[in-house]
Amino acid sequence: MTVDELRAKAAERQQTCSQIKKMIVSRLDLEVEPDWITDDQPLFGRGLELDSLDVLELYVAIEAEFGVALYDSEMAVFGSISRLADEVNPRLRAAA
Amino acid sequence: MTLTHPEDTVYGQVGDATVPLRFTDLSAEYKVLRERAVALDLSGHTLIEISGPGAVDFAQRVLARDVEYLTSERCMMSLVLDDEGRVVDQVLAFGREDGLLLESSVGAGTRLLAHLRSVGDDDVEITDRSADLTVIGLEGPYAWGVVGRLIDGELASLPFEAVSDTVWNDVEIVFARTGFTGEYGYQMIVPIESAADLWRATLEHVTPSGQEALELAMLEVRQPIPRLETAGDVNVIEIGANWLVDVTKDEFVGKEAVLAAFESRQGRRTVGFSGGDTVPEPGARVLAGGEDVGEVVFAVRSVGLGTTLGLARVEAGLAAAGLELTVEGAGVTTLTSPYIVPKSWSIPII
Repeated sequence: MTVDELRAKAAERQQTCSQIKKMIVSRLDLEVEPDWITDDQPLFGRGLELDSLDVLELYVAIEAEFGVALYDSEMAVFGSISRLADEVNPRLRAAA
Repeated sequence: MTLTHPEDTVYGQVGDATVPLRFTDLSAEYKVLRERAVALDLSGHTLIEISGPGAVDFAQRVLARDVEYLTSERCMMSLVLDDEGRVVDQVLAFGREDGLLLESSVGAGTRLLAHLRSVGDDDVEITDRSADLTVIGLEGPYAWGVVGRLIDGELASLPFEAVSDTVWNDVEIVFARTGFTGEYGYQMIVPIESAADLWRATLEHVTPSGQEALELAMLEVRQPIPRLETAGDVNVIEIGANWLVDVTKDEFVGKEAVLAAFESRQGRRTVGFSGGDTVPEPGARVLAGGEDVGEVVFAVRSVGLGTTLGLARVEAGLAAAGLELTVEGAGVTTLTSPYIVPKSWSIPII
C-alpha cells in the first residue's frame, strides 16, 4: 500500500473511534472532550473508569448508534476504544 | 529483600534502583503471571510521604489527576508533570489521614523526590520513606486466591484502587487492590524490617516474577512504562497517557503545556505493533509505503504473541491499528490494544 492508502485506512478507524468517543461522552455525560480519550484507552477499571451500570448504558447506546447488539459480549470488547471499533464496524476487523 | 532471592537471580540497574530482572526465566515467569499468580519485588518503587497542613493542596497542584478527595481508603494512578508538560513520573497516590503517600515508578524515586522538593511549599513536608517502608506486589488471574491464603479473603474482593489498613502477622500494612497488567493485582506496603518475612510468606503460595516479565505484561495492555516511553522531548499526548491527566481540574503543574499540545493537534501519536524476527532498537525508523513516518519507542520479544511487540511513535494520521508498516526491513502490523486479553477479565473472584 502507498502511504496515502494507509492514511485513508487509518482515517476510517479513527473516524469510527471518534464516533464512539462522542457517543460515550454524550451518553455518560462525561466532562472531557471526546478527542481527549485515546483510541488505546481502556474503558473499565483504569482508563475511563466506567462501571457496570455504564456498561448497560453503553449496550443500549451502541445498538442505537451502530445497530450492533453486544449483550453478553466478553469484556475484551471494552478493552479499548479501538477494540470496540472493531465490533461496531466489521469492515475494520476484516481489513486488519 | 535481595537476600531472600534465589542465588541465580539476574539483577539490573533501572534508574536509581537495582531490581530483579528475572529470577529464573522470562518466559516461565511471564506464563505464571498470565495464567496463575506471581509475587513482585517492588522495592525499586520509592515511597514518598506528603504531610503537613498544605499537603493536599500541594498534591493537588503537583499531580495531574484530582486527589482533593482521595480518602485513606483509596489510591489513584497519576502523572507528575513539569512546567513544560513533560512526564516527571507516573505515581500511585495513596490517601492518608495526614496527607498522601506517593509510590514512584521503578527507579524514578530520586528524580521524583527532587522535583517535588523543587516545587514544594513551606507548609508541606516531603519525606522519603524508602528507608522504612517497601512494597510487595501480587499479580495474576488467581492473585485473589493468594490474598485469601496470605492475609484475608475479604481483601481480595476490594474494588479496584481501594485501600485497607490491615494487619499481617501482627505487622501493620497498607493493602491495596491495584494492578499493572490487566490481571488482578494487589500491593502491600510493609515496614522494611518485616518485608523479608512477608516476602517469604508470599513465596509459600506463589513464585516470584522479575521486572522483565512485569513490563512485558504491562506493554501488552498499554499500561505506560515511564522509563521506556518518556525519554526525549515528548509530551503526554504523544505518549497517549491522557487518561493519567485530568484536564477538567482547575490547575496543576504542566496543565497549560498539556492543553497547548492537545489543542495544537500536532505531533506524533503512539501505536502498538507486532511482527519481525528481530527486536528493533529505540529510534529505529518506521516506514509507511516506503516513507519515513516515525520511530520505534521500544520493543521486546513477546512470549504471548511469539513475535516482536513494541510501540512506535508515528504521524497522527497513521496512529491506528491494522496497518502494514515496515521497521528495519521487516513487515509489522499496528495493533489494537490490549494486545493480549488478560485472563482475569473472564475469571470472577470467588
